[in-house]
Formats: sequence, C-alpha cells, structure tokens
Amino acid sequence: MPLSEELKARITAEFPKYPERRAVLLTALHFVQEECGGWVSPDVVPEIAELLGILPIDVEEVVSFYPMYHSDPVGRFHVQVCTNISCCIRGARGVVRRLEENLDVLSGEVTGDGLFSIGEVECLGSCGTAPVVMVNNERFVENVSADDVPALVERLRARAAAGGTNGSNGQAGGR
Amino acid sequence: MTERSGFKKPVKVVIDGREIVAEAGEMLLQVALDNGVEIPHYCYHPKLSIDGSCRMCQVKIEKAPKLAISCNTPVADGMVVDTKAGEVVEARKAVMELLLLNHPLDCPICDQAGECYLQDYSFGHGRSEARTTSPRRKGVKRYPIGPRVVFDQERCILCRRCVRFTHEISKTDELRVFGAGDRSRIATSQDRPLDNPYSINVADVCPVGALLSADFHHKRRVWFLEETETVCPTCSNGCNVKIGAFRNRIERLVPRRNDEVNDTWMCDHGRLNYAFVQDDTRLREPAIAGREPREPVPVAGPIDYTRDSDGREVRAAGPSVDEAIAAAAASLRAAVATYGENSVAVVLTPTLTNEETLLLARLVREELKTPHFALAVPLGLSDDFLIKPEKVANARGARDLGVGPGDGGKDLAGILAACASGEIKVLWVVGSDGLVAAAGLDAVEPAVANLEALLLQDTNRSALTDRATVLVPGCTWAEKDGSMTNHAGRVQRIRPALRPPAGLVADGEVFARLASALRGEATAPFEPRTAFAEVAKAVPSYVGLEWARLGSRGLAAGQGA
Repeated sequence: MPLSEELKARITAEFPKYPERRAVLLTALHFVQEECGGWVSPDVVPEIAELLGILPIDVEEVVSFYPMYHSDPVGRFHVQVCTNISCCIRGARGVVRRLEENLDVLSGEVTGDGLFSIGEVECLGSCGTAPVVMVNNERFVENVSADDVPALVERLRARAAAGGTNGSNGQAGGR
Repeated sequence: MTERSGFKKPVKVVIDGREIVAEAGEMLLQVALDNGVEIPHYCYHPKLSIDGSCRMCQVKIEKAPKLAISCNTPVADGMVVDTKAGEVVEARKAVMELLLLNHPLDCPICDQAGECYLQDYSFGHGRSEARTTSPRRKGVKRYPIGPRVVFDQERCILCRRCVRFTHEISKTDELRVFGAGDRSRIATSQDRPLDNPYSINVADVCPVGALLSADFHHKRRVWFLEETETVCPTCSNGCNVKIGAFRNRIERLVPRRNDEVNDTWMCDHGRLNYAFVQDDTRLREPAIAGREPREPVPVAGPIDYTRDSDGREVRAAGPSVDEAIAAAAASLRAAVATYGENSVAVVLTPTLTNEETLLLARLVREELKTPHFALAVPLGLSDDFLIKPEKVANARGARDLGVGPGDGGKDLAGILAACASGEIKVLWVVGSDGLVAAAGLDAVEPAVANLEALLLQDTNRSALTDRATVLVPGCTWAEKDGSMTNHAGRVQRIRPALRPPAGLVADGEVFARLASALRGEATAPFEPRTAFAEVAKAVPSYVGLEWARLGSRGLAAGQGA
C-alpha cells in the first residue's frame, strides 16, 4: 500500500517548518498512522525514508523508540494504559489485566474483529489522575480502576456500532 | 578522531599529579591513554565518533561542578584532573552495577571471556556483590545477525560501537538501537542482515561478548591461543593482524592497529582466509614423477611413528625435499645444457617474502641466466577502503626487487605461448594458484602439456599439481619469518605462528639449496634476517631499512634514512 499523493503532499508541506528534512519524521509518522490504519506498515517505511532523505532503518528505529508509533497493526480503538510508577502504584496493572480478560487478548495484541488492541505506554504526564488510559489520541480517561473497564469497553463498542470513526481527537466516552 | 595535521596550540594539563602537554582540542581520555594513564571506558573507540553513552570514563576535574566524561571533554590549559578520586571510584562502581544489572554472567560459555572489558573492569572497578534480586532481562542468544556474526542480546551493554562502525566505517548502516529504556536493543532492519565485507569488525569493537565472529564461535578459549603479530596475506594492502593459534593450528585472525595501513580494521575475506594453511588441500609430501609417493609420516608424538612396533626405523618410500630439489636442479641443468638458457622459464606468484624473492631473483639471473621470468598476479574486486585488486601479499615487493623479464625475456603470456609451442622446455612455477588465476586454465593447460618438465613449488593442491614433474611443497606465510611490501611501499614483518609440516622448509631455504645444487657447491642456509640486509641494499628506496626497526608496524620505503 503506497503512500497517497495527498499524504505525501501533507508531509512535504511540513518541510519549511523545520531546519532539516529528517526533523519532519515525527510529524510524518503521525500523519501516516492517521491515514494508514493506525500503524506504520513495513511497506511504507522506504517511502517515508525516501521522502525525508534518510534510511529506512532510521525510520524503523524511531518507530520502535516511541510507544505512540506502531510497527504492527492496532485495533480501531487502541487502548493504552500508562504503566509508569504513579499509575502502577494506583492499580494500572489491574487495569491491563482486566482489559486482557474482557477483550480476550493479551497486551500488544489485536482482537479478532480488529476493534480493540491493548498497549502499555510510558508516562502520559497525568500522575495526579492516575491510573490513566488513552484511547487512540483522544482525551485521557482518568482515575480508571479495573472495575471501570467493562463500562469503558461497552462505550467503545457502542460507538463502533453507531458507526463511530477512529477520529483522532474525539471523546472516548470519558467520565 | 583528532586531526593531527596543522599547528595546534599546546596546552598543559595535570592528570593525577602528572603534568602532561597535549594539543588543544584533544579529548582528555585519549590524552590520558596516550600517556599511560588508564581510564576505563566502553563506548569510546579511537577510530569511531564519540558517543558518550557508557559513562564509564568519568573523572573529576578541578573547579568543575560534577564529574565529566573524559572521552568528550577537550583538554584545556591548566586543567587539573583526578582519575582516582573517591567519587570517581564510586561512579565507576555505579556504572558497572548498572551495566551488569541485566548481564547474564554466562562467562563460562562466552567467547569473549578472557578478553572482555566487562570482566576486566568488574575486576578492577566493580563491586564484589550484586544487590539486586530481580530477575534479569531475557534476550535473544546465539542469533545470526548476519552470515558471519553471532549476536547475544543479553550481553549487550548498548555502547553503540557496532552501530557507529556500520555507519561510519563500513558505511552500510545495518545496525541501530531499537526500542527505548531497558527494552533497548541492537537490531537490524527486518530483511537486511549484517552483511558487508567488513562485518566481523563489529565483533572486535564490541567490548563484551554480544557480537561474536561466527567462525570463532565456541571454538577455543582465548587464553589458550598463542598470538603472533603478522600481516594478512590475502591482498596487497597488508593489513596488520594477529594469528591466534592452538596446537599448531590457526584458530582465528584478528586485526591489530596500524594507522598507516588498516587503522584497526580488516576485511572478512582476509580474516577467514586461513583454512588453506591446514586443510586437506595442503601439500605435505614432495613428489617426483615416476617415483613412489612417500608414505605420509605422522607428526611425532607420544608414540614414535618413525619406528615400527619392533623398534626398527621406518623408511619413507617417497622422495625427500632434498631429493626433489636435486631432481629439479638436474632437470634445469639438462635443459640449459641441451637447449640453451632460453629454454627455461620461471613464473612467480608473489606470495613469498622479500628475502625469499631476492634469492629467487638471484638464482634466475645468476644461475639459470634465463630472461624469461614473469610475475603472475591474480586480480580481483577491490574497494576504496582496504581491499586491493592484487590478491597476493607481496607483488609490490617482487616488483621492487626487479622480478620480471630480463633482456629479450618474455612476459607471462609470452612464456605460456612459448611453452605451448615447444620453445620453452622446462617451466618452473613458484605458486601455481596465482598462475592459473592470472592467466586462466585455458592458457595454462596447453602450455604445460608440451613441456619436458614442469617444476612446481606450491603450498596447496591446484589444477597443476598432478602435472608436476617435480613437486616441492612450500611453507605458507603463517610458517615463515620475513618481510613483505604492501601496495603503498610499506615494508612489514611477517612472523612464524606455526611449525611447517614435517620435513618441509621455507621457500627461501629451497632456493638456497637449489642454488647450491646448481652451482655444485655449498651455499649458506637461508636466514631471513641476513637476507633482509641484502634486500635493503638491492632496492634503492629500501636503503637504510633495518630488520630490527621494522618492529610490529613496519616502515615505509624511503624511511630508511
């Protein structure tokens, strides 16, 4: 699946904002994930690299570094649980476990219907409302306990049934 | 890397109370190392860019607010440095503890054991007990990260020397650090393994046992290796290497530093090109056509193979080296007597030392007096780094010593044509592999078919071995002492790492004995050191070069003055 001309144009339009082309990589990867199913497939890596004048392995290295980029497919709702220290102390592990039970997949996997995936991420910067969950790039779901998980999943299922999109900045059905 | 050309302002620094003069811009760690002050370090490598990631080389600098990494601190005038201060010692302990947190400590089965910086620095700078009870991180082990390199992720300390090597030296960029935090790991792009002509150098730069040469993997404990400083024989670059041998077999070659030749690198092809010294293609027994082959004489050991069970001496049936030399001399003499000097030709593949080559050249000019004397130089692929097109070690030396056609002499193609036409009756080939590679078997076959005698001096079996009238097995570079001249005119020592197969002598000694057989009078036995003095006189640009001054890194032609 090659990058669309529109996507390439969108990336190219970022060039003047940065001192050098390789600096556009982070933005470009966000764009790619928005428009290509939420992940950076190996097929598009060489194209991104060529556009930015870097090597494919440079792109892969950056994708692997940040939890926000995915080198494997994610679900339509990628449910990310912060598992850094504050969230862990306040029960983030339990949240992950409950998600795994509820969705019948392990952290890092995608459900068979492609609707959900679970991820553990580094600090989301909201220690005051730990544990924190972020669905896709949407607003945080805060003070989550394991017992909140079934309701969260149901809200997301309802959105999907209602034809809810994988919109990047919508409301995830937080409290 | 410090740029040493041009004038640099001298600065005075004090390291551990010792005043040292350095050049402005030099890094503190390198200045310390150059002056014999040991500062432990992992990520710093003199031939790679500075990474500053391992934190092992921290030192205390007076008036600085905190410890500084010496690898990335330029020296400044008046700088006062303490490499042994209490906080430095504590910092090193902390770094060692961090590096060992996830290290598997599988030293008993690790190839790096014995030459491992983790071991050495644990011994010198670590703490004696572990404080962690958490399980260690697991990672891939014995993973073929490339065709010639094995990767053990658990042992990696993420110094990134290998990443920098593939970016800056091999310029192939196969390796990067993937992931973040304690999930960081060295990896390749999915379908691009670590495969470049210099890939095994990552095993040398790796300070721990994370990247290993597949060829040497689990082969021998390094402390059993006898190491000999010599020069790689695979092309004319003459990369400086160490042979690691065990029980008279080569177990590995590793590069050693010579900034004039190979920095600290060597190519994979050269590194792995040693099997011929000890494999089944090696010629160990002389042969004379029509004579019974000699029974192989086993190496003397606890059992005396030279005597049978009744204690009687066992006589080998085949010819000795001296008998083969005598047969060769008779053949050469007969051809000259019957057909004249022009009926004899000599072809040399220049794998010999300068000293041996000098003896051969004299023999050809003064005893045989034939002008038909040619070099056979096999050519191959080259690059703009270390790999040179001439696939023999001493072509330059042979040319410097005047090997080539004399007045009215034929070149290689001319000699082969004259052999085929019957004009040349006796061909003496020193190193047939080069001849076949340089001229092609199609040209060599008809040439040797029409000879009265093919005299072959060779280390390994080739397409010509069975055609030889007389075969004199020679010694490989690993068994010889002498000098060779690389493509750029640097005269370097090779040193014997192995004993030659029983009964064989160096090619130089073969020439000495052949000269005395031809002359009918005894000549001095071949002695590399004295022969080098003759070499230094024979080549104008070598004048003044001395054997003892060649040292371990050699001298450039013209440096003799």
